[in-house]
Amino acid sequence: MTEPSNDGRHHVRSGLMRESLLDKAVMAGTEGPTVAMLPDCHVVKVGGGSIIDGGRATTYPIVDAIGKALETQKLILGTGGGVRTRHVFSIGLDLGMPTGVLAQLSIADALGNAHILGTLLSPYGVVAIPPEIFGHLLPLFMQAAPGVIFNGDPPFSLWEHPSHIGKIPKHRTDAGSFLLAECFGVKTVTLLKDVDGLYAADPKKEPGAEFIPEITASELEERNLATLPFDRVIIDLLKSARQLTQIQIVNGLKPDLLAPALAGEHVGTILRKG
Amino acid sequence: MVSSESVNAGSPYEGNGTIGDTVFGDDNALLTELGAQLVAGSLTDDVLLAETDRHPTIQILPAANVVKIGGQSFIDRGRSAMFPLVEEIKKNLPDHKMILGTGAGTRARHAYSVGSDLGMPTGVLSVLGTFVSMQNARMLHYLLADEGIPFIEPVQFPQLPLFLSERQAVVFFGMPPYTFWQPNPAVGRIPPHRTDTGSYLIAEVFGARSMIYVKDEDGLYSADPKKDKSAKFIPQATVEEIEAMDLDDVVVERSVLELMKHAKSCRSVQVINGLKPGNLTRALNGEHVGTIISS
Repeated sequence: MTEPSNDGRHHVRSGLMRESLLDKAVMAGTEGPTVAMLPDCHVVKVGGGSIIDGGRATTYPIVDAIGKALETQKLILGTGGGVRTRHVFSIGLDLGMPTGVLAQLSIADALGNAHILGTLLSPYGVVAIPPEIFGHLLPLFMQAAPGVIFNGDPPFSLWEHPSHIGKIPKHRTDAGSFLLAECFGVKTVTLLKDVDGLYAADPKKEPGAEFIPEITASELEERNLATLPFDRVIIDLLKSARQLTQIQIVNGLKPDLLAPALAGEHVGTILRKG
Repeated sequence: MVSSESVNAGSPYEGNGTIGDTVFGDDNALLTELGAQLVAGSLTDDVLLAETDRHPTIQILPAANVVKIGGQSFIDRGRSAMFPLVEEIKKNLPDHKMILGTGAGTRARHAYSVGSDLGMPTGVLSVLGTFVSMQNARMLHYLLADEGIPFIEPVQFPQLPLFLSERQAVVFFGMPPYTFWQPNPAVGRIPPHRTDTGSYLIAEVFGARSMIYVKDEDGLYSADPKKDKSAKFIPQATVEEIEAMDLDDVVVERSVLELMKHAKSCRSVQVINGLKPGNLTRALNGEHVGTIISS
């Protein structure tokens, strides 16, 4: 199995033996179909600032809708960090903390919200799973329970990428939910927010802003909108997706929309790959 | 409790101003005006994001050097390459603090190759690559164990400053801990953020003194010098210059080059040939002995 070392290195024979993993042609050779690990599960991200921070008025109705959905669907629920994350960012920035530290700090807020959601969904057997074991045991959990909850953050923490502008971590809870969904090859991804979907401008500031029911990642990139109702890095992530072909942004303040969204119906803004 | 009326009146985009006001009312004044904007505004708003650069980032470990030891290029060569380097690391301990990261190498290539054939997604390949770079970190750790140098996993990073202060160095595995959350590459399925990137991001977040890549070539060439003997050595280049060259192959992960463009702290890295004795020492002393890439 090991190759005689004619270059002073000791190689294991493989298709990538001796190759530079930085070579463009070598990289292209690794393209191919990908195994979908959880093709019948759905990822639903429950907004922090948009839903959970609103307390009982905004959270209880969607919890009821999630509970109803759990009777027939397998749900992987991510949470956002909401206003506490904004606050820890502001204190951290004032103290000169770098982006990686801000990312590390924010995980705690989303995790807190995961535990809040887990408490409310306990009667359904759905709880918050510690991040350390969540990814590795996810398929097992999905066989054992109707759903699971995780902090939507990706585990980038200190290893978060420097931002293009400013210091706010770019891979936040929407991005973490997306990346998990892509890796596990789930059926649908729904981001629950407090708007009907994507608008050409923040509809709070411009009440007449154009609603965009459907758009591709490339089109959205081209439009370069000033604000988005989800992590901007999702545009890039969707463009390089291999398993997911779309995500939907849905108004979580209208809980009746969850069931049709999970059924693949168009009830918010669909962001497509392409 | 927040009333539904105040919730519905808030900004429909995330970062709901009304909810923020409710949580941080007059009795809970925020520390700064920026804080108020962050609570109420959208984190996708470029104007607001630019404001977050108002204060400089602190240098958390300004005396530490991050040194990444190549997997395929170095550790896979075994004792002939590693023993002299380990001795050189030990010799430098009195003078230099080192955060030592490890590459993965040929076993990761095997795992990526078999994994690709079996249809593994990028996130699973990332897990496999992490295991291999961890094996290499453990071996480096045992070679340095008599100096009292620990191997730390990501969860132990809070102890890193203590270990550097007490023992001058730590060993960690170079892979960033993205596991199943590793973003896909634009082409193919090999994790784009590997051990060069994981090491670089540690230098960036801690505001380290230097980022040194120990490999088996003198630095960057116009082509892979192992395959093309006419390849030209490039002692110094900016990220933009390297991108303009559009090389088929580069000496550090492309992701490092991309991240360097937006770095707050680590805007220069050096790639050195660790097979030549003395190179690491000179690089730690701030000398130019390989290729310096800057942004």
